[in-house]
Amino acid sequence: MAKLEIDGRVFDVDGDGFLSEPGIWNSEVAALIAKADGIETLNDKHWSVIKIIRDNFEANGNAPMIRKICQETGLKLREIYELFPLGPARGACKIAGLPKPDGCV
Amino acid sequence: MKPKTLNSKRELALELLKPGDDSKLLTSLNSCVRCGLCADSCMFYKALKEAKFIPSAKVDLVSSLYRRYYTTTGKIAPKLFGAKELDDKMEESMIDLLFGACTMCGRCVKHCSIGVDIPYVVRRGREMLAVMNMVPQSLQSTVDAAINTGNNMAIPEDEFVDTIKWMEEELIDEMGDENARIPLNEFDKEVFYTLNPREPKFFPLSISAIAKVFYAAGESWTLSSKFYDVTNYGFFNGNKVEAAQIAGYLYDEIKNLRGKRLILGECGHGSRAHRWEGPNYLKKSYDFDNITVVELIGEYIRSGRIKLDKSLVNEKHTIHDPCNLVRNGGLMKEVRFVVESSVSDITEMTPYGEDNFCCGGGGGALAMSEYNDRRLKIGEIKANQIKATGAKIVITPCHNCVDQLLQINHTYKLGVTIKTIAEVVADALVISK
Repeated sequence: MAKLEIDGRVFDVDGDGFLSEPGIWNSEVAALIAKADGIETLNDKHWSVIKIIRDNFEANGNAPMIRKICQETGLKLREIYELFPLGPARGACKIAGLPKPDGCV
Repeated sequence: MKPKTLNSKRELALELLKPGDDSKLLTSLNSCVRCGLCADSCMFYKALKEAKFIPSAKVDLVSSLYRRYYTTTGKIAPKLFGAKELDDKMEESMIDLLFGACTMCGRCVKHCSIGVDIPYVVRRGREMLAVMNMVPQSLQSTVDAAINTGNNMAIPEDEFVDTIKWMEEELIDEMGDENARIPLNEFDKEVFYTLNPREPKFFPLSISAIAKVFYAAGESWTLSSKFYDVTNYGFFNGNKVEAAQIAGYLYDEIKNLRGKRLILGECGHGSRAHRWEGPNYLKKSYDFDNITVVELIGEYIRSGRIKLDKSLVNEKHTIHDPCNLVRNGGLMKEVRFVVESSVSDITEMTPYGEDNFCCGGGGGALAMSEYNDRRLKIGEIKANQIKATGAKIVITPCHNCVDQLLQINHTYKLGVTIKTIAEVVADALVISK
């Protein structure tokens, strides 16, 4: 198991930097992971995406489809890719404290 | 010196090296002389500079077992003939190097003085690990999702359908035509199209792009809502039974929908696994066309079914050649024909084409979090290649490469945009109404 250290806090993560225990996630942890990925400040748009991903994960145990994220936030696809340069999976899902999705992501 | 008694899993694994009718394997195991010419061809060795990463050292893991258990000299004097036991230490090295330090890109084969098919040997090593239940968990989980749900991201059918309907509405809007459709589960269509599940899940712009191309070509096509996944991670985890089951999903579905041509979406390993390995996995020949979407688009351009204006996009482009489509799939010229018809400014990487470097995420590496560090380190080679071209847009016909390129773009601050071929073709389309 790997460790991720950000601002003096240490988290157990998988090799890709996704939290090993999604249960320890909170908004402070989200901000720290975002910072480690080069997003200094999470704005309202970031948070709206993160919230939907997190809620979906807590309800269904997985990441929502990008359609759901777009339709519930009212954001365009391209905006989401700009908000999270690493994409919805390695970017947004990681910040929302989910385990890494399977597949080519 | 007799080998130690083996447990039953190890016996099963060694069965896979037993001299039989696989002359390719035997030739490869017997002919590598460890000259080391392959060393500099391998991204892992170039980036990490440890001898264990040299391709011939990976071959040697497997061939040393072959010598120990199947050759007289290796049985009598193992140390003298470089023959090794299948023990805990050997298993650990095999997992670490055959799963964790080889993308099976095959660049080493091109640099081998005698043409040893090194990835073929690596794949056999992975098959041995698979029968011993030693596939890295993250990779196996992707295979399990495909086996259990029909797609490697376990997307429920209703959510897939909702996404396709959403993309269809956008397409109708963009084209201003109610007939601009993304058909689902339709029978007797010319084209049965396939996707990488990451498209509907997270990156659907390539779906709207290809739908736009099909619309412009007036193609009769369909997607299946159940079995559309072009990937086959059974090609990577070494489990041929699982690989065959996944290949069978697409085979059965095209038969079910009576599609005429299986068109493989932009996925390197998936194209290879279905086109070249599929008939072997299923032990039957396919009585339908089984080609990549790059070739289909090439057909459209040649026959004039679609018109492209390459002056529409003026930025500088480069092409990343997916190993399984170009070096191992013969599509080098076809990829260039399609890209050169769509954009005007292209600078090739050095090297490119059949000698191109892997993105670093092939062979299942992208799925295996265990080896993330190495994957990003070897990715620096690709990052430097891209930087040297000065390109702003990197085109690649493989979604797995796209994801790795996204990551190295971020890690090495390249400031480029990554696009699939469908996206650049769609951007250059001239649609007459």
